[in-house]
Amino acid sequence: MWAKRVQYLNENYARIAKSDRIFLNNPVIMSGLGLAPLVVAASNGKNALMLATMVLLMLTPTRVLGSFVSKVLKFRALAYCLSAAVLYIGAYYLMKDWYDVQIVSLGIYLPLLIVEPIIIKRYERNTPEKWTTALRKGLLTTAGYALVIFLVGMLREFLSLGSLFGMQLVETPILPMANLASGGFIVVALLCAFWRGAVNVLKKWINMEAKKYQ
Amino acid sequence: MNMLVQTLSSFFIYAVVAIFAQNAVFSRALGVSRLVKLVDDGATGSLLFCACMCAVQLISAPLAFLCNKFLLAPVEWRAMLRPLVMLLCSAAGLGIVLVAVTLLKLSAANKVARMLPMATFNCAVLGCLFLTTGQNFTFVQTMGFALGSAAGYTFALLAVTEAQRKLKNRSVPNTFQGLPVTLLYIAVLALAIYGFTGHMVAF
Repeated sequence: MWAKRVQYLNENYARIAKSDRIFLNNPVIMSGLGLAPLVVAASNGKNALMLATMVLLMLTPTRVLGSFVSKVLKFRALAYCLSAAVLYIGAYYLMKDWYDVQIVSLGIYLPLLIVEPIIIKRYERNTPEKWTTALRKGLLTTAGYALVIFLVGMLREFLSLGSLFGMQLVETPILPMANLASGGFIVVALLCAFWRGAVNVLKKWINMEAKKYQ
Repeated sequence: MNMLVQTLSSFFIYAVVAIFAQNAVFSRALGVSRLVKLVDDGATGSLLFCACMCAVQLISAPLAFLCNKFLLAPVEWRAMLRPLVMLLCSAAGLGIVLVAVTLLKLSAANKVARMLPMATFNCAVLGCLFLTTGQNFTFVQTMGFALGSAAGYTFALLAVTEAQRKLKNRSVPNTFQGLPVTLLYIAVLALAIYGFTGHMVAF
């Protein structure tokens, strides 16, 4: 049973990795999408939560709406961006209702989501997307991005303030510069490196295990 | 005469601030996802991309200024509508550049047409529009900031492209090669700019 499973994973690794948007092919870690809000705005857990909520409200609906609009509007880039901008109106209304004035702390990074590559990247491909595929891939990408947003937000808050979601854990901050843009770049870079390293280790391990049972 | 000097100095101060102290990439990480993709394309494609971005930005910035003043300012729920209006301003900029390139029959017209959507609908262009309208810049300040922002993005792109030769060195650990080491390099430059200005920019 285990041997069959390992061999299946080894033979189909490329296909599985391609469709996995959470760990093996995370859009932020592997392709560097959606970096601007991560590096600057996701400086603490609360901001990360608000960003993740907004991405949840915008990413999948934009992708699905974009797949319909691009059938009518042949200029695909505008079709996706307009879809995002129209959906932003409703999403902003909900965010204002849920988080009130706290959304101000995200500054321009909240409206900037309408042109964030992680949300509108699909327009670069010439082939139109089925709405069911858009829905499935949109949800997976949202999960992968939300995971990274939370990791980066919590890491940066812990390093710069020694707290998590406002709860003090250590007296002295470990890396106060983590809440700066440069600190954000460093945290994201290190996270990318360790994540990619872990993916490589897993890939090698699957390969070795498969060889054992050959 | 005095007014002209004041206008010009305001324009250049905002342009210089946007290039260095408030560099789109190093201080606000605007357009950094596109930048890390572009650094692999080589200097020719990158410079053409920046030229497209600069043209779109210089056309859409005054449009955004006017729309903000006459369309959005009187509206109560402008925060919800601002992204849509700014997007339409940048789309208008794209249209004007596209028409100009077609009429001028430039040799690189096809390449420009392919690149324009990417150069228009990105965080660096929209970010500049949000900043200039959100912080109520005057027309001259808006134009200076828009020009400086595009120039600053070009400067950042060239700096990172140039560093790729060193960053692709074999001594860089395997897991750090590619995106992680590029981000670390940008972090060092961002830290240098922070050290130069001494404060975090508003966003």
